[in-house]
Amino acid sequence: SGVSSGCQQGGCLTCSDYNGCLSCKPRFFMHLERIGMKQIGVCMTSCPPGFYGTRSPERNTCTKCRSECDSCFNKNFCTRCRAGFYLHLGKCQENCPEGLVRSDTQRECVPRCPV
Amino acid sequence: RPALRAVIKVALLNHEPTGKPITLEGVFVGGSAGYAEGKLMQYHPLSLCNTSEDERQENDFITIVKLEHRVPRCLPLLDKARMALDKGAQAVIFDVSDDANAAAELRDTDSLPRPVVLVEAEHAEELMGLVNKNEEAKVRIDILVEPPRWPHYDV
Amino acid sequence: IQDRQGPAALLCPSPCQCEEDGIFVMVDCSELGLSAVPTNLSPLTTYLDLSMNNISEIQPRAFHRLHLLSELRISGNQLRYISGHALQGLHNLKVLMLQNNQLERLPDDAPWDLPNLLSLRLDANLLSEVPAGAFRGVRSLRHLWLDDNSLTEIPVTALDSLPSLQAMTLALNQITHIPDYAFTNLSALVVLHLHNNQIQSMGARCFEGLYSLETLDLNYNDLQEFPVAIRTLSKLQELGFHNNNIKAIPERAFVGNPQLQTIHFYENPIQFVGKSAFQFLPKLHTLSLNGATQIQEFPDLKGTTSLEILTLTRAGLSALPVDLCEQLPRLRVLELSYNQIEDLPSFYHCSALQEIGLQHNQIRRIESSTFRQLTSLRALDLSWNMIEWIHLDAFASLHSLIKLDLTENRLISVPVAGLGGLTHLKLRGNTELYEAFSPDYFPRMRVIEMPYAYQCCVYGSCDSYKPVSQWDTEQSTDEDLHKRTVAMYPIHADTHYDPDLEEFQLEIEESKLQTSVQCTPTPGPFRPCDSLLGSW
Repeated sequence: SGVSSGCQQGGCLTCSDYNGCLSCKPRFFMHLERIGMKQIGVCMTSCPPGFYGTRSPERNTCTKCRSECDSCFNKNFCTRCRAGFYLHLGKCQENCPEGLVRSDTQRECVPRCPV
Repeated sequence: RPALRAVIKVALLNHEPTGKPITLEGVFVGGSAGYAEGKLMQYHPLSLCNTSEDERQENDFITIVKLEHRVPRCLPLLDKARMALDKGAQAVIFDVSDDANAAAELRDTDSLPRPVVLVEAEHAEELMGLVNKNEEAKVRIDILVEPPRWPHYDV
Repeated sequence: IQDRQGPAALLCPSPCQCEEDGIFVMVDCSELGLSAVPTNLSPLTTYLDLSMNNISEIQPRAFHRLHLLSELRISGNQLRYISGHALQGLHNLKVLMLQNNQLERLPDDAPWDLPNLLSLRLDANLLSEVPAGAFRGVRSLRHLWLDDNSLTEIPVTALDSLPSLQAMTLALNQITHIPDYAFTNLSALVVLHLHNNQIQSMGARCFEGLYSLETLDLNYNDLQEFPVAIRTLSKLQELGFHNNNIKAIPERAFVGNPQLQTIHFYENPIQFVGKSAFQFLPKLHTLSLNGATQIQEFPDLKGTTSLEILTLTRAGLSALPVDLCEQLPRLRVLELSYNQIEDLPSFYHCSALQEIGLQHNQIRRIESSTFRQLTSLRALDLSWNMIEWIHLDAFASLHSLIKLDLTENRLISVPVAGLGGLTHLKLRGNTELYEAFSPDYFPRMRVIEMPYAYQCCVYGSCDSYKPVSQWDTEQSTDEDLHKRTVAMYPIHADTHYDPDLEEFQLEIEESKLQTSVQCTPTPGPFRPCDSLLGSW
């Protein structure tokens, strides 16, 4: 979200017809969006699903999460897993540690329900 | 050492074979002259950086980057070219129409494993025009051989 | 989210777009120039995006009916303050995005009551402090973004209310000091980002309580001393303190961190490194030290057996341990340039080595055993040394070698056994080396640098530009072209070059493919191949 198309986007600072946004306004994230053979720059307040934001004084960028991760805090810490994986302390695993069971609705490892 | 020129043949994939492909020209960088073919794939000038994780393409592809002088370089062009080739590109095309320093930056380079070509003016506009319309295209790059500028002499 | 007809359309506040999600509704009101929260939102709304509008305040009870709302995005607006009452009723909220607003303060005595909140984004606002009670109503919180604000201190008391916190960033603030026991209640914290602050000092017990911490990012600060406080972080895997002002890494620096996999500390004026600093790190795979001029001895890497990349440049090394490869059997890249190394041990046990950089040292001899059995070695840089002699078999077993740089040495001959796979060979600056190496030695050569131009003539550099007709005129059979093309460009062998081109739209063009071996210095009018007066 937070995205408009083409050069008229709210967050775009400099723009080109072929490359889309070349730089963003302060505090916006630059995301390189692939559309078929094209790749254009897009400026947003939060990175799209499957990407996480990294802020730095020079530039804020969107970077891809790991493949088994639908959303993440950084490269090594997932906040929501892809279907078939279960979250535990930021990791997406196919099985849960001892004492926890898999919850398909939450895609997380959760405590076993008391009988 | 005179830079070798490249002939670039472009065929649109989503159109019926309508005869002659589009023929364009460019200049090979340093010692990278050679042959390559693949699908054209645009990369943003901010991609191909240490921090940017550019996704790997499955099939053979040729990277094209329209350089912009307004975009600060995250890496020297030579490293960007190498990174593209490392990520599987069969060749790299830089549109230098809007970046006068690019050609100079790439002049004295020799250790590129596959072709890197600079294009500009109408040749670049043709290529970027296809990209802008998202027209899937297959590109073939080859060496355009020209007669030498100084005659063969006999000592 | 598209504008859908059907039940969702009835509940969809104009001009937003809505999408059904079973009986629930997902509402997108982003980038519509709104100045207030729409009032007629359905109680069945589970996702509401109000980002990138002009909302400067949230009217009381704006969300009081949205008990099922799971995600609320109000980023990219002009909000200065959000009272506890404004967010009343959001019992089920899990994700709240408030980044890119102008929030100056958070509610203290009547904080937000969001019992199920997991992710709270407050980054890119104007917060200069976090009141003690700010997080009392969000006790389930796991992920907290406070980066890119104006905090001058760690909000220690406020953080005490977050026992479930797993990931937090306080990066890009103006924090100068980390006090002892700053995170004592955060036993579940796995990731802590503190980069781009002005941290100069830390309490020796400032990380007490962080039993689960795996990632600690202290990059781009002003640390004067090595952060000994990390000693309590037994689960630490990733540590960064590059771009600081640290001058020494003490003995047994990481004794408390046996799980460390990566340590980034470049761009520090490190002069001294304790010999035992990097011992017993069995999971460390990369170690890079540049410019630590006070390092005279190679570090003792006992127990750091997984190291794959070792960079130790611009130090004062004059020798390497004989058992280097026994300690580092998995080494892939060894970069030791700009030292004063004279003698080389045998790298025999480093069988995984792919790259060796020894340029700018004082090496004189290469023995037969030095690089023996390095069958994976691809690049060897020995330039800018004093090498006078290389044993005939020195390169014999280097079957994967493609790049060899011997620039600026004192060689009078070069053994070619084992160098058949080279694509790059550099011999410039060996002024006593006169031999013209036959191209047969190097069938795959692409770039070769010789001491003298005449040595390039064997590569046909004098008549590489034959006067030939234009691109299209001469014909030759496909078969002939295919054979020459595959020979010239090995990539064709990989891409299964198919001579049958009918299904392809481009017609095949006959091209005079010329030799592409690039040999320098290139012979020319004043450096002819037919040497008149002996060598130039």
